[in-house]
Amino acid sequence: MKKNEWPYELKYGEKKEYSCDVLILGGGIAGCMAALGAREKGLRVILVEKGAVAASGAGGAGCDHWESAATNPCSKVTPEELVDMMLRDNKGFNNGISHYIECREGYDRLLDIEKMGGKIRDTEDEFKGADFRDEDSKLMFAYDYKNKFTIRIWGTTFKKAMAKKLKRVGVTVVERVMVTSLLTDKGEIGGKVVGATGIHTRTGEFMVFKAKASVMAMSRPARIWLFNPAMVGLSEFRPTQCIGSGHAMGWRAGAAFNMMEKSVRAEFSAAGKSYPPYGAGNNHNTWYPASIIDANGKTVPYTDRDGRILTEFKERCLPADEQKFFMKGGGIDGGIYEIEGPETISVEGNPEYKLPLYADLSDLPEQERNVIWGMMVGEEGKTKVPILKNYTEAGFDPKKHVLQCYGSGWKSATFLPDERQLFGLPGGFMNDWHLRSNLEGLYVAGDALFASDCYGHAAATGHYAGRHAADYVKEAYAESENDKSETGKNRNNKSENGKNENGKNENGKNEYTGGGNTSSGNTDGGNTSGEISEEQVKAEWARISKPVMKSEKEDSFPTGYRWQEVNMAIAKTMQHYCGEIRTEDMLNTGLAQLERIEEEMAKKSIADNPHELTRLLEVMDILTVSKLIIQASKARKCSVTPLCFKRGDETEKPDNAQSLCKDEVQDFLVIKNTGAGIETSHVPLDYYGDLSLNYEKYNAEYLEKEAVYHV
Amino acid sequence: MYRESSYGSDFFVPIQYDEKKCIGCNRCVDICQVDVLLPSEKKGESPIVAFPGECWYCGSCVVACTSDAIRLVHPLMNQVRWVEKDELTGSKKQ
Repeated sequence: MKKNEWPYELKYGEKKEYSCDVLILGGGIAGCMAALGAREKGLRVILVEKGAVAASGAGGAGCDHWESAATNPCSKVTPEELVDMMLRDNKGFNNGISHYIECREGYDRLLDIEKMGGKIRDTEDEFKGADFRDEDSKLMFAYDYKNKFTIRIWGTTFKKAMAKKLKRVGVTVVERVMVTSLLTDKGEIGGKVVGATGIHTRTGEFMVFKAKASVMAMSRPARIWLFNPAMVGLSEFRPTQCIGSGHAMGWRAGAAFNMMEKSVRAEFSAAGKSYPPYGAGNNHNTWYPASIIDANGKTVPYTDRDGRILTEFKERCLPADEQKFFMKGGGIDGGIYEIEGPETISVEGNPEYKLPLYADLSDLPEQERNVIWGMMVGEEGKTKVPILKNYTEAGFDPKKHVLQCYGSGWKSATFLPDERQLFGLPGGFMNDWHLRSNLEGLYVAGDALFASDCYGHAAATGHYAGRHAADYVKEAYAESENDKSETGKNRNNKSENGKNENGKNENGKNEYTGGGNTSSGNTDGGNTSGEISEEQVKAEWARISKPVMKSEKEDSFPTGYRWQEVNMAIAKTMQHYCGEIRTEDMLNTGLAQLERIEEEMAKKSIADNPHELTRLLEVMDILTVSKLIIQASKARKCSVTPLCFKRGDETEKPDNAQSLCKDEVQDFLVIKNTGAGIETSHVPLDYYGDLSLNYEKYNAEYLEKEAVYHV
Repeated sequence: MYRESSYGSDFFVPIQYDEKKCIGCNRCVDICQVDVLLPSEKKGESPIVAFPGECWYCGSCVVACTSDAIRLVHPLMNQVRWVEKDELTGSKKQ
C-alpha cells in the first residue's frame, strides 16, 4: 500500500503525555477487571489497549464457559480442593497463587460482570428442566453436573458490558495504542516501573504514560515456532495481535520470569494447519459431551477413568464411582487419575472402527444438542459467525448431519516434535501474593502470569492485581508524603541482594517476595514517586520509529525487511535450535542467530504505515521473547517432564544426590535480565505457602467488604 | 452483490461486503481488534479489507454490522465436511 493512500492522519514524531495513579497495560478481560479493581479504590486509572476494548483480547469476541467457579452457590467442591488438583495435575509446576485467586474470587467477578450487563444465567428459561441447569439460580453448568463448578456463559455479551462500565466509572480508555516499553525509575533495568510508552496504531503518534503503579495485563507470547505469512490470523488459537509484547518489555525492564523453558508440541491453530476451532467434529470444551461415530455410523463409546463403558448419556456428565469430581470431560492433556473425566475410547489402529470419525449431536437429548449447537457454539470466541451462522445458512442441521473430525480430541492437525507452541499453562511473569512482579510498581494479571489460562483466571487475577496495585499506591505514596525515611521498610524490600536461593522469607515460610532487585537500590532512600528518564523515552522513540522514519525519507519504494519475513526467520531459527530436544551448543548458536536477525532488523526493517509498524514492533517482541526462551532453556540443565522440557546433554550433576537429572529437579527456575547479564534463582514449587492462610492474610479488606464467599 | 474491496491478497480475502446493503458506517472498522479494515476514502462506501491475512475469524465485524452487509468465510482449506448420518448407516433410501 502506498503511504498517500493511508486514510488516517499521520502523527509521526508527535508526542502525547498522560499521567495517572494506576496504568493498565492491555484491555482484555484481565485488563478491564484490573482497571475496575483499581478504580473502585478511588484512584485515577488509565487503560491502554491495542484494539477496541468492546471486542479485544483473547476473550473479546466471546467465551462459552467459565472454569473453576468453586464459590458459586451450587458448587460441591471448595477452592482448596480444586487448586490442589490443579497443582497435582502439573506435578506442582503451576501458579498456586493465581489459580487459588481464580477459584476463590472467580465467581465474584462473574457476578460483577452480570451487574455490568453480561449474561451469566438462563434468564429466559430456554433450558428449563435441563440436567445441567440449576432451577433456583438458573445457572447452567458444563462437564461435571454433580459438582457444578464450570459455568456455561453467554460470553459474547461480556466485553461489551465491560467497555461500557469502564466509561461509566471514569476509567480513561486509550484505544488503538500499542504499548512498546516499560519506563523504569531513571531508566535503570530492574528499577521501579514508573510508566510506559506506546504508539498509536493508526496515526503513529507516540505516547508517554506516567503512573505510580502499573498492571501488566497483556497476552502470552505467540508465533515463536510457527508462522505462516499468508494466514497470519490463523497462526495461533488466540487473536493475531495477542503476541506477548508484555513479556518482551518486561524482560527488557528486568522483570523476573518463570517456566519460560516450557513449550508443548503444537496443538491448535498453528500456522493455519488446524481446521477452525470448534468448527470441525470433536467432543471437547464447547462440544462436550457430543457423541462420536465412525464412518459406518457406529458409536465410539465413552468410558470413565477406569475404562468402564458408559451406556447412559447422563453418565458422561457424572464422576466415576469413588470419584469426588472430574475436572473436564475429554481429557485434553491426559489429566491425573483423580480428576480424569469421561472420554471416548481411542480408535487409532482399531479395525473395528472405520475412519473418518464424526461428531454426532443427533442422538443427544434435545436440550443437550441445543446447548452445544446454539448456545455454546454461538457464544465461543470464533464460532458465532463463521461456524454457527455460516454452517446453518449452508444447511447444516444438527438433528440430521454429522460433522467430520480431522484429528483426535480437540486437535484437528498433527505437528512435528520441533513445532512448538506456548499452550497449556505456559511460562510468564513471576508473581508474589500481591500479584506483583519483582519490579516495584509492576503488578501482573491474566495471560501475562506464568501458568495462566482461561477467562475466569484472567478476570479474577485482573481485579486482584488492580486492587493490590491501588493499595500499593495508597500506602507507598501516603508514606512518601508523611515520612520518606519509612519507605525503605515497606514490603518490597524483603528479598536479599536480588537472590532468592531458597525462596524462604524471614518467617521461614516458602513465600516468594520478589526474588529480585527491588526498590531498595533504585528508590534512593525513599523517593517513592520515581522519575521518568527522558533519555529512556527518547531512546524508545528512536527504536520504534526507525523503520517508518526511514521509509518516510525515501521517495522511491524502499527495500528492507518487512515483518512477515522476520517472523518467518525467527520461527525457523527457533524450530532448528530450540525445538523439542535442547542442547547447550545448539541453544548458544540459536541465540547468536537471533542476535544476528535482531541486528539486521535494527538496520534494515521497514514499514509503510503505522499498522505495519505495529506488526513489525510485535515481531521485534517475538524475537525478544525467543531470546528469553533460549536463556531459560540454557539455565535449566536437566529435563523436566511436566514442563515438556528435554535436554539432550544432561551433564550437570547437582550437589544434592536426590536431584540428579535422572530424577528430575523439582523447583522453579526464575530468570531475569539484569542489564549486566542473566540472573537465575531456584524457587521451591510451593513458594506460595499455605494458600488459604496467605490469601486471607493479604486480602483482609476484600474479605470484609466485597467477597461473596467465606470459608 | 458482494465485492472484495481489498488492496489485494495473494491468498484469500475473508471479509466481503454487500455493496447494496453497506451504508459505510464503519462500525466494523471500529470493532476489529486486529485493524484488518480501513475506512473507505469515499464517505458512505464500504471499508477496505486492507490486511486480509491478519483476520482471525472472530466475526465481530459481522455482529457489529447493523445492515447485514458483511460475509465472513474461512478459506477453502478450512471448509469442513458434514454428511447426513443416515448415509453412513445406510438407512437412507437412495
